Amino acid sequence: MKALDVELIHIQKKFGNNIVVDDFNLQVEQGECISFLGPSGCGKTTTLNMIAGFLEPDGGELKIKGKLMNNVPSNKRELGMVFQTYSLFPHMTVAENVAYGLKLRKVPKAEIKQRVAKVLETVRLPQVADRYPKQLSGGQRQRIAIARALVTEPSLLLLDEPLSNLDAKLREELRDELKRLHKEIGVTTIFVTHDQEEALYLSDRIVVLSHGKIEQIGTPWEIYNEPATEFVHTFIGKSNKLTGEVLRAEGDRLLVQLDSGSTIEAPLRGKSFSGGEAVSVYIRPEHLSVSEGAAAAAGGSQLTGKVHLSSFLGSFTEFEVATGQETMTVRLPAMDRLRGLESGETVTVSWNPEHAFVFPRKEG
Amino acid sequence: MSAPATRAKRAAYQAALLLLVPAFIILLGVFVIPMLYIFLMSFQDAKEQFTFDNYILFVKDPYYIGILWRTVKVSLLTVLCCLLLGYPVALFLSKASGKMRGFVTFLIISPHLISVVIRNFGWVVILGDKGWINTILMNLGLIEKPLRLLYNELGVVIGLTDAFIVYMVLSISTSLYAVDSSLFKAAGILGASKWTMFRTITLPLSLPGILAGTTLVFSLSMSAFVTPALMGGTSVKVLPVITYEKIMATLNWPLGAALAFLLLASTVVLVTVFSKLVETKRYKEVFAS
Amino acid sequence: MKIRIPWLGVITTLVCLMVISPFLVIVPVSFTSARYLSFPPQGFSLQWYQKILDRPEFTDAFLFSLQLAAVTAVVATLIGTLAALAIHKYNVPGKGFVTTLLMSPLTVPSIIIGIAALLFFTRIGLGGSFAGLLLAHILIAVPYVVRLTLTGLSSFDYTLERAAYIMGAKPFNVFWDITLPLLRPAILSGLIFSFLTSFDNVTVSLFLVAPDTTTLPLAIFSYMQETLDPLVASISSVVILLSLVFIFLLERVYGLDRLFGTNTQSH
Repeated sequence: MKALDVELIHIQKKFGNNIVVDDFNLQVEQGECISFLGPSGCGKTTTLNMIAGFLEPDGGELKIKGKLMNNVPSNKRELGMVFQTYSLFPHMTVAENVAYGLKLRKVPKAEIKQRVAKVLETVRLPQVADRYPKQLSGGQRQRIAIARALVTEPSLLLLDEPLSNLDAKLREELRDELKRLHKEIGVTTIFVTHDQEEALYLSDRIVVLSHGKIEQIGTPWEIYNEPATEFVHTFIGKSNKLTGEVLRAEGDRLLVQLDSGSTIEAPLRGKSFSGGEAVSVYIRPEHLSVSEGAAAAAGGSQLTGKVHLSSFLGSFTEFEVATGQETMTVRLPAMDRLRGLESGETVTVSWNPEHAFVFPRKEG
Repeated sequence: MSAPATRAKRAAYQAALLLLVPAFIILLGVFVIPMLYIFLMSFQDAKEQFTFDNYILFVKDPYYIGILWRTVKVSLLTVLCCLLLGYPVALFLSKASGKMRGFVTFLIISPHLISVVIRNFGWVVILGDKGWINTILMNLGLIEKPLRLLYNELGVVIGLTDAFIVYMVLSISTSLYAVDSSLFKAAGILGASKWTMFRTITLPLSLPGILAGTTLVFSLSMSAFVTPALMGGTSVKVLPVITYEKIMATLNWPLGAALAFLLLASTVVLVTVFSKLVETKRYKEVFAS
Repeated sequence: MKIRIPWLGVITTLVCLMVISPFLVIVPVSFTSARYLSFPPQGFSLQWYQKILDRPEFTDAFLFSLQLAAVTAVVATLIGTLAALAIHKYNVPGKGFVTTLLMSPLTVPSIIIGIAALLFFTRIGLGGSFAGLLLAHILIAVPYVVRLTLTGLSSFDYTLERAAYIMGAKPFNVFWDITLPLLRPAILSGLIFSFLTSFDNVTVSLFLVAPDTTTLPLAIFSYMQETLDPLVASISSVVILLSLVFIFLLERVYGLDRLFGTNTQSH
């Protein structure tokens, strides 16, 4: 087993009477890239700020490299951090910005020069050393901010929404860059994001948060394909929601009667439900397929409906199919021969039962 | 909340208080306490006995009422001049390009940073009996004897307008900058003429600026001392000048102190009444902050 | 064809002319070779500049004003900057109230501030002293410094401090390396503005100067009430030149338009 770089044990944080982070437990292994994912106000930034030392937890223990960090000021935690707004010092050149942390550590001048040059090389911007932050583009500033965070060889790199201030194209470019850097340097990284794609793309593991609580910790594959809660399933990716009541369990299958009357089945996945319980069944658009004409027998893992909208979105086409009371979105590769489906056409929507997820429905 | 967080907060709070100490020492010792001191003194007679005489004198004596009225009149005229001349400038600024706006703003503000004594001297040179204006007009044969432009209320109003117009311009232009220019496009599409646009959009939306500028210029004019003294001469004695004389020449300090508070009180009362008149219910609803 | 008169432009030009006209006449008048104020100014001579040097009451007043303004500027900037930092950075409770309190000297006419200071200082034995005059000048300059620094701080990005902090900087390093350099324009303009405020002041000085030491504006004020001659013009020209240097400096480091809120002091 690899060494544990960061441990958060029963961390809690309150603002007044408001609990913003509750019973947060996480162990980060050396070299891992972890993301905190969730909507704004879910506590992800607060947790990052506690790791950084800008906030003190009200309860629990925070350990970095095995050492208790509660009440250790951030300037003694030996961290690297990249801020959402880059936060480059406007009155220092790029080289001075990057060198600042080394100067504070009283590193000899010659070594500073050499290390600054090397890290600028790593982020592929050696030519801007003598410029001021204002003279750089957004993407360049972000890379310099990363270089500045890395130059002191921190035990842990923290990134606060590192890509949210960039436009879409640049964001993709820097995302690749971050992935490359992480692979190259292997520094343990924790980053905060509200962008699920970013989290899926960059992380070894994702921590999904909602209302200050951890919903699930898992690899991107697990988060997407084995969501632990309804929140995780709906927050990540698009999904069709079908509502109904539990009829009964049959082996590892649950039979659900939809509000429209049809009965469908879904895997239990180890959970248990009582008869008559209100549930939601989710199936992702890309797990649905469509065939022309009505199904011989509705239910099980197929529903009949009418196409009422189709949208061409480049690499795929989306159809909206009205099946009784529900509207289901179906996503098909654009090359599929069915891309020419007409509005009003009767179709059958079907799926692999393994792709259906059942969650209990909260009242109200 | 745990103890350390509280301790850190308390330390920061104490540091902040420490940083404020010098400012508050000055504020207390040179402003608050002296103000309280002269407030008490204004209720004393020559033998340091409590009395209302200093205030009663002001109400009873038509001389002082006359002076107050003259002070108010000069201030109102100044406000009017500043408004009439300043509004177009503010409007010009709000429509001008960034460079032009910067240049005009600079031109209007920079004289303000040079002593008012010097500016008044310039006006004396321009407006005096043998000044530039009178000499030019007489040489042109337009007038036979010099126009009286100085050492009367006109002179004071000119001097005060020059000194304070900057506040009117800046107050109004600030409120005009905040007007969304798409409103004019919208009004234009609806068929509004330029005059209608001004009357129904620009003017109502600049009301807070007009109010701010008017109150400011009025208060400043009421308490102006140097300009009335230099450009009004002995004939236009306003309340601040009389107050100065009571303090420095006749050495009647209690009366001077009372006059100072009467000046302050009359300004505050008039400004408040004016604001109440402008700030109707509708005004408050529109400009509620 | 109807000719459209750009009324706004015309009035704006007139107003600009109005506010600079005093200076437009003073400078030519100061170079007159006549012995009195006349129009148009006659000839060209530097006699009125030479005469300044023969009048120690003006040269002394000038030096005294410079010293007073310099000390005022330094002390007021220090006090005001610290207070603004306390308000903005440390988030003192009731900071709205504290700010209003610090700004309150601006809402009271300076003639009343002068009277109050005179009467109170006389009572406590500071009447006619340099300390009294200096304290009063500091009082009226501090609010401007506070306002300038608060404006400077309003756009201050505190994550810059966090960035330095997490890079290992001690609180002193953060202040010295990051906060202070970034506040330099605000502090510098606080210095210049409080210098000018003190240097130009008449109304407060009027009550507080000692009989033997007077400030330059006050010396001109008193002289003007007795005599009007080109000497005033030459002295004024010197002051105008000096002020212009500061004004351009201020425009460069801060921008005059940012300098003026809508709440300022009377003369």
